[in-house]
Amino acid sequence: MNILIFIRMVADVVEELKIADDFKSLDIDWIRFRLSETDEHAVEQAILLKEKYGGMVTVIALDAPEVDDALYNALAKGADRAIKICGDWMNFRSPGIAKLFSNYIKDENLLVTQTLIMSGSQAIDDLEGELIYYMGENLNIPTCGIVTSVNYRSDFNLINVYKEFAGGLRGEFEINLPAIIGIQAAEKPPRYIPIAKIRAIMKTAKIEEIDIPDDHISAGKEVNRLLEPEVSGRATMLEGSPDEITAKLIEILSEKAII
Amino acid sequence: MDPVELKILSIPGYFYLWLLTIISLTFFVTRTYKIINILKKAKPENRLDNYSKRTYNFIRYVLGQKKLFGERSIGLPHFFFFWGFVFYATTFWWNLIRGLVPVIPIPYADEVGIVGLILEISGVLVLISIIIAVIRRTFFPPPHLQKSRDAVIILSLITILMVTLLIAQGAKGTIEQSSLSPAGTVIATFFAGMPISGAHNLYSAMWWIHIIAVLFFLAYIPYSKHLHLLTSPVNAFLLNDDSPANLTIKGGTEEITQGSSKWDEFTWKQVFQTLTCAECGRCDRVCPALNSGYKLSPRSILHEMKMHLYEEAFTKEIDKIEVKSLIGGYISHEELWQCTTCMACMERCPVLNEHVTAIVQMRRYLVSQGDVEATVQDMLQKLTRYGNSFGQSDRNRAKWTNGLDFKIKDARKEEVEYLWFTGDYSAFDQRVQNLTRSTAKIFQASGLDFGILYEAEKNSGNDVRRIGEEGLFEVLKDKNIAALGKAKFKIIVTTDPHTYNTLKNEYNLDEALGAHIEVLHYTELIDELILNRKIEIKNKLNINATYHDPCYLGRYNGIFDPPRRILKAIGVNLIEMPRNKQNSYCCGAGGGKIWMEDKTKVMERPAENRINEAVALKNVKTFIVACPKDIAMFQDAIKTVGCEESMTVKDISELVLEVIG
Repeated sequence: MNILIFIRMVADVVEELKIADDFKSLDIDWIRFRLSETDEHAVEQAILLKEKYGGMVTVIALDAPEVDDALYNALAKGADRAIKICGDWMNFRSPGIAKLFSNYIKDENLLVTQTLIMSGSQAIDDLEGELIYYMGENLNIPTCGIVTSVNYRSDFNLINVYKEFAGGLRGEFEINLPAIIGIQAAEKPPRYIPIAKIRAIMKTAKIEEIDIPDDHISAGKEVNRLLEPEVSGRATMLEGSPDEITAKLIEILSEKAII
Repeated sequence: MDPVELKILSIPGYFYLWLLTIISLTFFVTRTYKIINILKKAKPENRLDNYSKRTYNFIRYVLGQKKLFGERSIGLPHFFFFWGFVFYATTFWWNLIRGLVPVIPIPYADEVGIVGLILEISGVLVLISIIIAVIRRTFFPPPHLQKSRDAVIILSLITILMVTLLIAQGAKGTIEQSSLSPAGTVIATFFAGMPISGAHNLYSAMWWIHIIAVLFFLAYIPYSKHLHLLTSPVNAFLLNDDSPANLTIKGGTEEITQGSSKWDEFTWKQVFQTLTCAECGRCDRVCPALNSGYKLSPRSILHEMKMHLYEEAFTKEIDKIEVKSLIGGYISHEELWQCTTCMACMERCPVLNEHVTAIVQMRRYLVSQGDVEATVQDMLQKLTRYGNSFGQSDRNRAKWTNGLDFKIKDARKEEVEYLWFTGDYSAFDQRVQNLTRSTAKIFQASGLDFGILYEAEKNSGNDVRRIGEEGLFEVLKDKNIAALGKAKFKIIVTTDPHTYNTLKNEYNLDEALGAHIEVLHYTELIDELILNRKIEIKNKLNINATYHDPCYLGRYNGIFDPPRRILKAIGVNLIEMPRNKQNSYCCGAGGGKIWMEDKTKVMERPAENRINEAVALKNVKTFIVACPKDIAMFQDAIKTVGCEESMTVKDISELVLEVIG
């Protein structure tokens, strides 16, 4: 099996977010970037599949701050190749990113019969999980998101996946390869890679840096303006006997001119 | 009356003696040679520097038997065993050589009056000691004492040696009275009327039994747990007592930091120490994990390492049936993670074994395999990314200073005398931040020139290192050293004893920063400020309280007096808990335990046990600590024990702040 994983760096929300002077983007000098959480699961799931069925795992990312750490981490986990697509992609949204990734796959002729393309099923800047569907459309291959389990059947060249639905429902699907899936959670939590191992990988392995031809790909939807979240009022607990509470409630409601 | 002239089957005695000696020494030498060869295959470690210090340790711990006196009932008896052994071993070689080569014109050892007297005295003392040891073993066995067959054999052997010597002295006494043989004279009265030839025969018989017993002993020792007779003196000499659980292996190779899962992946010292364990169980008796009902037993860790060594290294390839792995087979993963690295085991160990380093060495292996539990993994990832265990932004590190009405200097920007390294808990934990501010106010009030590193400070890595994540420790250390290198200061002061330990003993700051850097704990500094009258004590507290020695401040670094002097100065009437100073009982947070979940049901958590110990003191309502993690641990324990009414946890800093108003 040939697994391609596309990963994205997203803003680390542990850090305070700051809007840049153009009011359209985040101040990248201030914020930090980290690998999207579901992408981390996608990498883990790919490694689990490799361990189970063999094959080759390639991790592909768009250039972004701290992306090298994420790629080395994937290599330390057991990925065979790490590829960084050079360029400035900060303004790219999912449709644009999908186009970039799809073009890359086509240009490199990576879509052979046993190819499974994976990515995280959503990201904090792609809550609807559009990326994989755009890619599926571009490449014209079956696509399935919110996947929590993957098994490969080489005799039929298909994968068997569990897809989560709302309300605790789960569906089981058989998908012919090549296909693209979005991972919600790997079968096991992402493993720990000791620092020494990452350091060793940094010495021995290399991140392949590639440039892709400028095909005038549009970045996707353009942001007009970013706004800080509005500070919402805090909840007030009304205490006392039911009568007292009712009285207070009436008072508040009339104060706000609701009644 | 020369026993070796005795003819058996018309062959002279010394012929038999030669035969027995050769057999015995063959056993002894073969085994010793094998052990040395095995040790050579283990990883390197330099334990042969600083001879004067090592000699001093040898005198203190071997000749003085210092650690043995930790348990009074057996301290003195063992002291007599040891010195009895020394005298008997010396005279044994003397007698053996004289017996093997009868032409040497010297008497036997016991025939020299004064030597005979010493042998008699030690013989009697050792016999009394044996009686005490047997009574202790049989009727008052301390918990976790291993009653092995080995122990019975050895006690019997020692008895035989003493009894034969004394009876032989008695036999001599019937022939000739000597003022230098009081025991012989007394025993001789039992043999009154015995003909001289009978006395000669009795003497010869005793001489032979004695020497055969010793030869048996010699052959048997290296195969039994009593190998400790030979190995523990060496082990004492090999001790690194300036910081005994220091995880930097001197002269070690890079690969040692990857951990060990097989005997030949440990250093030779770590392998060697398993051969010194006498299975006395002192470590088990003080282990907070074991006494809380966890599976971990420090004794069993070393014992299982030895069993693994026996099976892997001592058994011939063809005899191996099924080889158990060390980790997962002999020692379970959970045991390794249950250690709080409090070092109580090492403090008590009479043969000076280093359990903690061995445990961490195996943890390092688990970490190298990515085998860590989820909460620890989460913590390590937070530390890797943010440099603190709270998973917060670097920028929040100095947020605690917001509650102060003065600004703390930024040591990166302006020169300070004292650089205050607060540590994660003091900076991020909401329960502790107030205490950090107390310390800041004390420093400020005493006119101290101090500053902090703001967001450039990272977790010191002490606990990370004890979890076994050596790579991350190195990263954190490098980052901190880089930040310290850019700051201008003279002395480092720390709040967290764990931080204190690693900065002081494991950072090698002098070399990294190219100047001698003193590292102080805040209690040391406050003590100094009080002594120098920089802190003005306005109104003494006049309260009764007890003080808990943090493991990493007390046992690890010997800081017992400064906190006590502060307490005295501020008017605290200190009422010690039974386990204090070196014997302090761990709160259960160390070694990364604070980040792990209790998976097994415990009888009583270490911190709860400790609180109960304090509650049992009369008229004590205040439990004083000097470690931010202790605040978290003991406040929780007070709630779970249900003694919020009767006990309050206080940090030294808040008490000091109270008295300076």
